[in-house]
Amino acid sequence: MVEVSTPVRWALRLAAVAYVFFLVAWPVALVVRQTFSNGLDNLIEAFQDPHVVNALELTLMVAFWAVVINTLFGVTISILLVRYEFPGKRLLSALIDVPLSVSPVVVGLALLLVYNGRDGWFGPTLEANGLQVIFDTPGMIMATCFVALPLVIREVVPTLTEVGDDQEQAARSLGANARQTFWRITLPSIKWAVIYGVVLSLARSLGEFGAVKIVSGNVTGRTQTATLMVEAKYQNFQQGTAYATSFLLILVSIACLVVVAVLRPKHP
Amino acid sequence: MSIDVSGVTKTFGDFVALDDVSVSLPTGQLTALLGPSGGGKSTLLRVIAGLETADTGRVTIEGVDATRLPPQKRNVGFVFQHYAVFKHMTVAKNVAFGLEIRKRPKAEIAARVDELLRLVHLSQFSHRLPSQLSGGQRQRMALARALAVEPKVLLLDEPFGALDAKVRKELRDWLRRLHDEVHVTTVFVTHDQEEAMEVADEIVVINDGRVEQVGTPDQLYDEPANDFVMSFLGEVTTLGGVLLRPHDVHISTTPQLAGAAEGTVSRVLRVGFEVRVNVLTDDGEDVLLVLTRTHARQLGIEPGVRVWVTPASGALTVPSMKAAVG
Repeated sequence: MVEVSTPVRWALRLAAVAYVFFLVAWPVALVVRQTFSNGLDNLIEAFQDPHVVNALELTLMVAFWAVVINTLFGVTISILLVRYEFPGKRLLSALIDVPLSVSPVVVGLALLLVYNGRDGWFGPTLEANGLQVIFDTPGMIMATCFVALPLVIREVVPTLTEVGDDQEQAARSLGANARQTFWRITLPSIKWAVIYGVVLSLARSLGEFGAVKIVSGNVTGRTQTATLMVEAKYQNFQQGTAYATSFLLILVSIACLVVVAVLRPKHP
Repeated sequence: MSIDVSGVTKTFGDFVALDDVSVSLPTGQLTALLGPSGGGKSTLLRVIAGLETADTGRVTIEGVDATRLPPQKRNVGFVFQHYAVFKHMTVAKNVAFGLEIRKRPKAEIAARVDELLRLVHLSQFSHRLPSQLSGGQRQRMALARALAVEPKVLLLDEPFGALDAKVRKELRDWLRRLHDEVHVTTVFVTHDQEEAMEVADEIVVINDGRVEQVGTPDQLYDEPANDFVMSFLGEVTTLGGVLLRPHDVHISTTPQLAGAAEGTVSRVLRVGFEVRVNVLTDDGEDVLLVLTRTHARQLGIEPGVRVWVTPASGALTVPSMKAAVG
């Protein structure tokens, strides 16, 4: 550790605290203050608006399915990446990081091109068979899955690598088949990484805006999620409802952070 | 024969780990696969266990062709160098794993785990997690876990390699006694010739993916098949173009025996009761000898003294393949 003189240390601390305060703490606190500017009126009003309730339910539903799907695929792809050698492995690993670097709006647009019902690649075929993807829930779940894809994988891969395959080999030599080895050995040893990835995915899925806005069509009361609702209400001069919905989203995010903070020490 | 390996070849890319290896390991014995690191002995053990698949060749375990069987169908117990303990399970759960997989009745599992933990002296630790055990205790637990499923053969991959010298010595003796009690056909891999000589009934020397020699410790020591086996099993030195053990060199300060090489003591190093002497002969050979402290003192060995060296009568010698060191 390099020794830094006391005034420099204090200056650095002040700079860091001020930065986080003006960028994060103050704006978020203002949203909370605005929510409660008339006591509980804003919250009550929001919960009495069927469109808001609908948007919250839709958000939870989309986030739930996106997290379930991402967890299943995430764990499977992680095992594939760590335990097996196959041509194109590096390419797959690189592709998984694409959602981190591509703007969600672009993701939405890309999905629209492939799945829209008029001239998309699969869209017309799927719609002819009664499955509407774009401007409906499946498309919104897909868009959310896309943006949250790397979160579970990037948590699980390092843990799997670190644990190694010694225990799995031991289980095999003791008579366990592939399924038994997965449930009894592999999954318990990556448990915390999976939980951590799920929490991060959930937070990301609840807050998704750009990709969902494009594929959902943003139809109030039908395909409008909570984040889209905040934007619409704000532009409609219903700031109170917008603040209240924002407050609920902040609350869930903070709950996720608390869960992560509680889990972290157990997950070395 | 309990394990029959015939014509097994295994390559990893360009590297030939096993080159047409054939060996038979008898039932009920304790066999060591001995050789230098990277020589292919661990690969052979893993091929027998089914953790690696041979490119060509056959593996037969107790008369059953196991070449294409997955590890869980071979009924072998495997003990890993780094223990491979199930970190999230207690000691008792670790040992019970194989039995639970086989869906044995609960009472039977409990009784068997109890018996095995007593066998490996870990009864009082049954409710601990592996992270609360020492290295030696973890390895004993891993052994109990492998024995729990009553394997036809027990395979140990450098089982004591990760332990410190004292614990390694203890576990070595303990493994020998355990084998005398349990009588399961056991094969263990080691690069430590002392460990192999002390513990094994039979030793298979493996080098460069090939079997160099198979035999009892005495056979290997007394009748090494070639200079590799000779030099791997103990220290050697060259004298007059032959390999021999440093303690088999006769030294005198006067020309007593015909054909003795004359030379000068170049270096004397005392290690405990042993004295290690380097003699540079007039023919340019650097000969290493080991004497007792008393013997060296009687002869008055010190650097610069003129001496005569020759293989002692009855000494084992093997023609040296390498040119004498200049």
